[in-house]
Amino acid sequence: MNDETHPEKVPLSREALREVNEISLLAGALLMQNGAETARVEETVHRIGTALGANWLDILVSPNAIIVTSSSGDEFRTRLRRVLVLGVNMRVIDEVNSLSRRISAGDVDRHTAKEELTRISHLPAYNRWLIVAMVGLGCAAFSRLFGGDAITFIITFLAASIAMLTRQELSRRAFNPLLITIVTAFVASTVALLMSRLNPVPTATALLSSVLLLIPGVHLINAAQDIIKGHLVTGIVRGFLGAVITACIALGILLAMSLFQQAVL
Amino acid sequence: MNTPELLGFILNDMLWAGLAALGFAILFNVPARLLPACIVCGMVGHLTRELLVSYAHVSLEAATFAGAIVIGVFGSALAHRLHAPAPIFQIAAAITLVPGAFAYRSMLGFIRVTSMTGVSGNAALEEALIFSIRTAVLLGAIAIGIAVPTLLFRRKTLIQD
Repeated sequence: MNDETHPEKVPLSREALREVNEISLLAGALLMQNGAETARVEETVHRIGTALGANWLDILVSPNAIIVTSSSGDEFRTRLRRVLVLGVNMRVIDEVNSLSRRISAGDVDRHTAKEELTRISHLPAYNRWLIVAMVGLGCAAFSRLFGGDAITFIITFLAASIAMLTRQELSRRAFNPLLITIVTAFVASTVALLMSRLNPVPTATALLSSVLLLIPGVHLINAAQDIIKGHLVTGIVRGFLGAVITACIALGILLAMSLFQQAVL
Repeated sequence: MNTPELLGFILNDMLWAGLAALGFAILFNVPARLLPACIVCGMVGHLTRELLVSYAHVSLEAATFAGAIVIGVFGSALAHRLHAPAPIFQIAAAITLVPGAFAYRSMLGFIRVTSMTGVSGNAALEEALIFSIRTAVLLGAIAIGIAVPTLLFRRKTLIQD
């Protein structure tokens, strides 16, 4: 850590230090549960805390919790926060990043920072039908990259869109994420299999393109980044999570295939 | 190769790779102002790989690694210009390199192994192993390739932008 000590920094009161610790911890937890790698979480927490007046922050990122200790003068405060959901929301990461820039430029005080973080944690996602359509189109574009024709494109679009709808509905009802993955993969491959029965076209492309929306790309890439940067524990856990999700996708496809008696290649 | 054919190849590849990156960027809730950058990253990364495979006859693994490095470099450059974290662009773009077909074939191999009677399934076992190894290597190439610019150019800074 290359932070210079600031002898001119005024020691914070116990109350003020608690607030600084809370704000940094909340920012870190927001980053973590929305798909940031561990190094980014640590850097952002440290930057926000020191910019708000603390002398030093120690951060421990564990796979499902984050602990932050802020020190100032002779005083220090520590708090742990559980992070149970590892999702992906790039807008939150972008907003927390720009908030931390504004804080370190000295434009934002503690009170505003807290309000901003509350606002960020309630940011809306894109319209759900837009997501359904765009994910359908994205997967259909993959079928073209894999060499599919126009009919495959349409089949993939429908299968992936229906799968995305299923996933949204199941997530809203708070089912287990792995179960959601299996069911969604099953729905996608069922639609792809049945529709390609109507049109005698090679099915493999449509089938494997329509389950791509479930690929745990963020987990796998973060796992590699964490391991490269020395955060082995979080890296291994994320990599394992990615592998388990991939196995769930495979299971969903297998169920559909064995149900419809159709092994395709 | 002739020029119009090459141009058609490039445009076709960029169109579909860009659309794929856009779809995943929306899924990951990338803010609207950053979407064009995601599309650009997806296009250049995938195009790099396809050109290397089709015209330079590089192996898929090496070409994917090169594509991932291109995504990493473009992502970092765009992150500086747009004042946003680089992973936002890199992850949606990297999805375009995911070896879906290989993962699928390794799975099919495993199905065949588990539904075998007797022990005469060397071909199925071979297929399952070959394609799962290649899938794992490709995924590793993507992840490490993206990290290359960070590893090379951000050695000392604690604070990232």
